[in-house]
Amino acid sequence: MRIAQKMKDRQPQWEELEKLCDAMELGGKTNRAVGGQYSGAEGIARFASLYRSACADLALADAYQLPPATVAYLHRLVARAHNQLYRANRINPRRWLDILFSEAPKRIFQDPCVRISSVVFFGLFCLSMYFAFQENQFPGYAEIMAGDQALQQAEASFEDPLDAGFGHYVTMSGFYIQHNTGIGLRCFAWGILIIPCLYVLASNAIQLGAVFGYMARSETSSGDHFFEFVTAHGPFELPAIALAAGAGFRLGVGLFATAGLTRWDSVRENASRAVPIMSASAMLFVLAAFTEGFLSPSPAPYVIKVMWAIFSSGLISFYFVILGFPDLKELSVPSGNQEEDWDAA
Amino acid sequence: MSGKRALDTTIEVVTPENIAFDYQLAGPFRRLPAFLMDFVVRWCLIVLILLPLYLSGLFLNVFAFGPFLIAATFLIYFVISWFYGTLMETYFNGRTVGKWITGIRVIEVDGRPVTGRGALLRNLLRIADLAPMYAISNVSPDVPPIYMIPTGMVALLSMLLTRRMQRLGDLAAGTMVVIDEKRWRAPVDSVDDPRVPALATYLPLDLRISRSLARALAVYVERRSQLTPTRRRRIAKHLIDPMLDEINFRPDIDPDLMMYTLYYHAFLKPDRSGDLHQEEVDLSSLRGSSPLRHTVQLRTGENRDSGFENEETEGAAVLAAQSSGGHGFLEKASGHLGDADLTDEAEISG
Repeated sequence: MRIAQKMKDRQPQWEELEKLCDAMELGGKTNRAVGGQYSGAEGIARFASLYRSACADLALADAYQLPPATVAYLHRLVARAHNQLYRANRINPRRWLDILFSEAPKRIFQDPCVRISSVVFFGLFCLSMYFAFQENQFPGYAEIMAGDQALQQAEASFEDPLDAGFGHYVTMSGFYIQHNTGIGLRCFAWGILIIPCLYVLASNAIQLGAVFGYMARSETSSGDHFFEFVTAHGPFELPAIALAAGAGFRLGVGLFATAGLTRWDSVRENASRAVPIMSASAMLFVLAAFTEGFLSPSPAPYVIKVMWAIFSSGLISFYFVILGFPDLKELSVPSGNQEEDWDAA
Repeated sequence: MSGKRALDTTIEVVTPENIAFDYQLAGPFRRLPAFLMDFVVRWCLIVLILLPLYLSGLFLNVFAFGPFLIAATFLIYFVISWFYGTLMETYFNGRTVGKWITGIRVIEVDGRPVTGRGALLRNLLRIADLAPMYAISNVSPDVPPIYMIPTGMVALLSMLLTRRMQRLGDLAAGTMVVIDEKRWRAPVDSVDDPRVPALATYLPLDLRISRSLARALAVYVERRSQLTPTRRRRIAKHLIDPMLDEINFRPDIDPDLMMYTLYYHAFLKPDRSGDLHQEEVDLSSLRGSSPLRHTVQLRTGENRDSGFENEETEGAAVLAAQSSGGHGFLEKASGHLGDADLTDEAEISG
């Protein structure tokens, strides 16, 4: 029995490999497989050798004249073992710190998409604020853009001086992290289709601007409290929105500005570049949420809030400019190589 | 992409061991259930985490812990709804609960496991993949317009248009979803029909089964248990008829039985080295009939046919018709089992 013989020879090894796969899929370790016979390094060595022999069987399947179902089984077995041998990398916290404080600022500093989204966001924001403020020239603008109800609600909620209890701070921090970061992430995700991202960015800018402009009018009673409220967290939150959209645009731009790559390679490359920017944005959103939760609604003197705003602006500038400034060494290396090449030529 | 691959849903991956193996891609009909299950699991997870928190909050001082509880609710909702997929896929090697149940897995397009960055991207971009949203208020005006149903058309379109059936998130992350099944069918390694080994002895000694024929035979034998006898014969006939002349077998032989015999010959028969001295094959299952077109032209084991002549008529029905094994029989033989085969027999003996 030719095939039966071959199966008898091979099948125990395949079954053992499968058991090791089972164990590794559950706990990532070989300890529990085959009655704990192999553990630790021994288990890995055993697994690797079984995997290699399964690979060899697959490579020789044609020569062995294995039936197609067995070959299909071997394909799956090798795929499974391959998945265990080359497992997903667990998220490494140090790697993420690296992304946040080294890769992200550099990308942000150089990325034209971030610049465009910043210009769009802050441009529309300022324009909308101006329109809403100049009620005589643009009557009804703020009401149309931000909605009558929303404006009155905002006005009513800032009637009283800012003074909230500790419980309120904690709750609101949680809410802002969930809500605002969610908006940022959504804006980023829409970026791959570009238009929805642009819409989210622009509508946020226009609505925020309209509220700001409305509150800045002299006849709005609660304007002072409102600006006291937004001062502290503004420097974190507004750039965070722009950054999220910038990262989104980076995704979408990859679709058509391929820079010589195939289209999907270009999307992948650009997406990979967008992740650090989005991470930085998420970090800013979280910082903004804590500020907005704890400091902004507190009865602390306005000076402290202004100080914090200045401090946080400085922090962001440091992050964007100092950390983000391209490494001079990195810049000089390619030109040096070029010279060498010319010399060699 | 070669023409052969155009309709196929497998992707070849070359490992660092320099072995090429195939992954079977998971299409939308496997991935949608996984997504729905994950949706349910996400909410269950949120409830399961929050319930003990709230219960313990009841026993402790509600006023002191209340704000923290609400903040925790927001945070847990945020983390689970945005990062459930990312965390699951990185920690469980490309699988979420839904993917585990439906037997699929996320991997990079080059076959490596999914990276943290890839998992993050593909899960964040799901929002765009679920677009466009359909407002329920379109059909029933009572429902407030905030309730939207994601239609997922973007993902579906993207999956249809890409060879690896990737949605936008997969394209951006450079990942694909593959089927990760464990179950396997053992090859048919023994024949359950006693006529098969006996018939195999009548095959010409120099019969070589080509590689493609061997593959066809194996596929046929693996699947024949799922086919009805009529269907088996209909399929096998196309393959066997052109061969009968070559191997000099009678044209009325059951094609299914012939396929089985050829399979036995290609995969199961003991090695040729001991051909002349092989173990005795029990020929009694044929009840003395010969499958050959001209009995006199027998090239193998003529000593075995010694008692055939007197039982020829009965035996022919065995090859063409139903036997104790319950296998297929010749289409035209089913009607006239006992005596009608005499016409065929007359031709043969003449």
